[in-house]
Amino acid sequence: MLSVNNIQTYYGNIQALKNVSIEVPQGSIVTILGANGAGKTTTMKSIAGVLKPKQGTITFLDEDITNKNPDELVRKGISLVPEGRAILSGMTVLENLEMGAYQRKGSIKQDLDKVMERFPILKERQSQLGGTLSGGQQQMLAIARALMAKPKLLLLDEPSMGLAPLIVKDIFQIVKEINEEGTTVLLVEQNARQALKIADHAYVLETGRVIKSGSAKELLKDSSIKEAYLGH
Amino acid sequence: MLAEIINPYYLQVLSFILINIILGVSIYITLSTGQLSLGHAGFMSIGAYTSAILTLNYDFPLVVGVILGALLAGIVGILIGIPTLRLQGVYLAIATLGFGEVVRVLFINWESLTQGAIGISSIPHFGRELVTGLRDTGFTADMIGIRNNQLISLLVFIILLVITVLLITFFVRQNHSRVGRAFAAIKMDENAAEAMGINITYYKVLAFAQGAMVAGFAGALYAHVTAYISPSDFAYHRAVEILIFAVFGGSEVIWGPIFGATFLTAMPELLREVSEYRYMIYGIILVAMMAFRPQGLIDHEMIYKIKSRKKKKKKVEDDKKERNRHGVGS
Ligand SMILES: Nc1ncnc2c1ncn2[C@@H]1O[C@H](COP(=O)(O)OP(=O)(O)OP(=O)(O)O)[C@@H](O)[C@H]1O
Ligand SMILES: [Mg+2]
Repeated sequence: MLSVNNIQTYYGNIQALKNVSIEVPQGSIVTILGANGAGKTTTMKSIAGVLKPKQGTITFLDEDITNKNPDELVRKGISLVPEGRAILSGMTVLENLEMGAYQRKGSIKQDLDKVMERFPILKERQSQLGGTLSGGQQQMLAIARALMAKPKLLLLDEPSMGLAPLIVKDIFQIVKEINEEGTTVLLVEQNARQALKIADHAYVLETGRVIKSGSAKELLKDSSIKEAYLGH
Repeated sequence: MLAEIINPYYLQVLSFILINIILGVSIYITLSTGQLSLGHAGFMSIGAYTSAILTLNYDFPLVVGVILGALLAGIVGILIGIPTLRLQGVYLAIATLGFGEVVRVLFINWESLTQGAIGISSIPHFGRELVTGLRDTGFTADMIGIRNNQLISLLVFIILLVITVLLITFFVRQNHSRVGRAFAAIKMDENAAEAMGINITYYKVLAFAQGAMVAGFAGALYAHVTAYISPSDFAYHRAVEILIFAVFGGSEVIWGPIFGATFLTAMPELLREVSEYRYMIYGIILVAMMAFRPQGLIDHEMIYKIKSRKKKKKKVEDDKKERNRHGVGS
């Protein structure tokens, strides 16, 4: 569905991605692991069109999308939940959700109901300002907002960052459900163990390069991965 | 009787308040995507000079001159807005301030067209043009029992009032539209807005150009109300003055800069002693607002409270009506 071929992305003169290739098959969950500063966020931003790679190509559903802008990619079915709960804190929960459907035409009522059903807390808090939600609720809102765009491919950049273990579990459960209902997911995570448990495939990034990839099951057993990311 | 009520001086003050309100609206639009501009005096001068030169030297009808002045300011706004897109906050303010100075120096030195520092005088006057037009149809001031200069200032005021109301209506409606929601999202969090699929470049340039166009429009009106313009009318202090309307009144809601423009234009007229210290007072206002109420006097919360009080009042009245009806029924 998505294929990233040898992309190189820069911040000014600093090269953040040296050579990254990733395949995301339709219907799967693919996870990207890696230490801080490895280039995970940069990869996600390059796919979402926020950053433009200098070299390499990205294709989505057999179409070259390498230099497309985020708004166009949202219309094509790629939605990014950025790192660090990017919600609109001055708008209500409901307004945030409506903004998520900004690029869509026609009625969104049905999808609003569906999203609220999945996240009952958001229904309860719908007229509360986004900024007054708790961290976990804000992350739910960020995911719900992305779903309002009806994405075919959902990009999640560290959805569990800074959340309590119990809520992290909820978030992973929700990601799994979203995937089971037909949305393909590309997930960046520091929580390697949990990510590998729900993922089909995994890639490991280090200083802007893919150093390892394979099925999630394989990587869970891989001794070097165990040592570096799974904590034993 | 009308002759005693109409005071040309007060009408003129009111007219300047209206022009300043339009300038307040212009800075509000630019600020509504979080862009801080000190270039509005420059855009204002482009509108003013364009319309003055076209009507005076090339006999363009006044209305056409004003429209072209506003359009040219808007086009220059696009040209300035695109390269400054990456600039945030104070850097954008400095860049736009530089732009304003460049425009001013250009108008000083392009003497063949602008008469340099001396400025352009005897620009066709709005009111006088209209009165002449009316006379052709057979209508004169004494028909409603007022003097000619009273009619002139009255007409200017009425026309400016209509224009201002239309303009405010347009931007209030835009605020409630897709465009307004995109502006608000960008102001709140550009990264989040981008991830939602909002075209940041488009909306930021749109807001910048709209602000420039409205400032140019105000400038053109100014030229035809004063009949005289010079580069010093559009210097640094004017750019700051326009920004102060928003800093003082508030930039969260459109009513903020409208209030700011009204209050700060009326104040020196009402308190004669104050007018000498005008710029000193602006400085004090700037510092005080930053310290105590950075969002300006009128903010979202205030509007929200006013609205909910109105609703409550309405509800009380409705309840009363309801009770009365029941009373009649039983
Ligand atoms: N705006 C920026 N300007 C310059 N360099 C940047 C910028 N953003 C990221 N980088 C650099 O690019 C490299 C990759 O950063 P990136 O944010 O993609 O890492 P990451 O894998 O997401 O890390 P983390 O786990 O901490 O989120 C880092 O070396 C970082 O310093
Ligand atoms: Mg990151």
